[in-house]
Amino acid sequence: MSVAVSSVIIVPAAIAAGAIILVILLFKAMWRVAEPNEALIISGLRDKGIAKDTSGDEMGFRIVTGKGTLVVPGVQAVRRLSLDLHQADLQVDCVTHQGIPVHVSGTVIFKIGDDPGSITNAARRFLDQQDKMDQRVHNVFAGHLRSIVGSMTVEDMIRDREQLTARTREASGTEMTKLGLIIDSLQIQEIDDPTGYIKNLAMPHTAAVASAARIAQANADREATEREQEANALKAEAVRNAAIKEAGFQAEVDKANAEAAQSGPLAQASARQNVVQQETKTAELEAGRQQQLLVATVIRPAEAQRDADIAAAEAASKVAELTAEGQAKRTRLDADARAAATRATGLAEADATKAKGLAEAEATAAKGIAEGKAIQARADALASNPEAVAMQALAEQWPAVVREAAGAFSNVQNFTVLDGAAGVNRALMEVASTGMAGFEFLRGLFVPKQVAAGAVAAPEQSPVAVGAPTDNGAAAIDG
Amino acid sequence: MAEHRLVGKVATVTGRIAPGTVGEVVVHVRGGSETYFARPADGEEIIPSGRQVVIVSAAAGRTLYVSAVEAI
Repeated sequence: MSVAVSSVIIVPAAIAAGAIILVILLFKAMWRVAEPNEALIISGLRDKGIAKDTSGDEMGFRIVTGKGTLVVPGVQAVRRLSLDLHQADLQVDCVTHQGIPVHVSGTVIFKIGDDPGSITNAARRFLDQQDKMDQRVHNVFAGHLRSIVGSMTVEDMIRDREQLTARTREASGTEMTKLGLIIDSLQIQEIDDPTGYIKNLAMPHTAAVASAARIAQANADREATEREQEANALKAEAVRNAAIKEAGFQAEVDKANAEAAQSGPLAQASARQNVVQQETKTAELEAGRQQQLLVATVIRPAEAQRDADIAAAEAASKVAELTAEGQAKRTRLDADARAAATRATGLAEADATKAKGLAEAEATAAKGIAEGKAIQARADALASNPEAVAMQALAEQWPAVVREAAGAFSNVQNFTVLDGAAGVNRALMEVASTGMAGFEFLRGLFVPKQVAAGAVAAPEQSPVAVGAPTDNGAAAIDG
Repeated sequence: MAEHRLVGKVATVTGRIAPGTVGEVVVHVRGGSETYFARPADGEEIIPSGRQVVIVSAAAGRTLYVSAVEAI
């Protein structure tokens, strides 16, 4: 039951699937696609309308480019024509317009034209020998190149590319069109010049160019050297500036280092300073204490002692002063008293002396008169008895003589008499006798000159009597 | 693509067009550019390279007859 159902469903499905696959396979077999670089040339089973050219003539085949198309197998033939680039290398020995033999190697790049006309021409000529197309073109183009070179000069070949392509078109255009080909490019790759024409052609330019090159080289060298020297100078300057800056920085660093290095000892010194200050303060305090101690123990007692001594000395001096004053006063009083006494004495003595003087003066006057008289009388007597007169005069002087003799003893302080009273008498007698001997001597002297002696004696007495009162008067005045 | 469709288009001269020689123009066609031989349409015009030309007529053998577009 189930098998029958399933077979009923599966068989048509399989047939359908097979049909679809068949259709796909058929389509794949009939459908052809032309890629961008190729053209499909389809011939057989005329398609109306398509296989006609611009003029309306039938071409006999169909050209398809860039799309797909349905091809009926067995009835229609499909050929592919490559539209790719082709290259042909050319080696040609030829002669230029100037008759110079050259060997030219060039390349021509060509392809089948994209337009239907070109494709048609090409399809008719190359469809079965596409790989031989290069050789064909080479053979054709060698002749063209020879004619092209022959119509140009070497200079034009080298320089005038426009003319080269124009001549290529002129020479080969028609022929290429016949083949359905277009020339994309013709390149003259190398011109081998056995005569050295090109070389010689280039020589003046080469020399000029070489000269210019050398000049340029020299200029460039000079300029480069100048720039280099300038750069060196700038570099040196920069180095110098950098060195200066570096030195400055180094100096700052050194300074900072030095300051840092100093800070240690500085702090130490500062600390030490503080210590010393404190120690100094301590010492000062110690000294102050010592001083206070000394003041208390030494100076104050000394001062007290000094004050006491001063007081004592002052007292003593006061006492002495007072004593001296007292003594002075007393002395003064004494002196006053004595002076008064002396003055009184002096006055009294003066009065006395005066009185005595007066009296003596009177007496002397009287005596003078008397002596005058006596002398008169003596002269008279002398005239009659000279020796008696002399004796008389001597007798009168005797007491004075004895007094003079006694004066010898007046200078003796202690007169010691060893043999008692008798001794005293003997002594006195001896003195008296001595006085007698003197008397005798004097008499001897006086006698011959009696008158003269008397004259001398009188003046001797008188000055003394007169002077005494004068002295006493002066003393009285002083007192 | 038939050549007659090119008539009226503007092309650029790449090879000097003059009487007695074969010039060349580049035409934008079929999505790309193709070179065609060119000759002066009046038979005596001289057109240097780089000028714009208008295609007057087309001939077989990829040859176009062109006339210079006056610079306006």
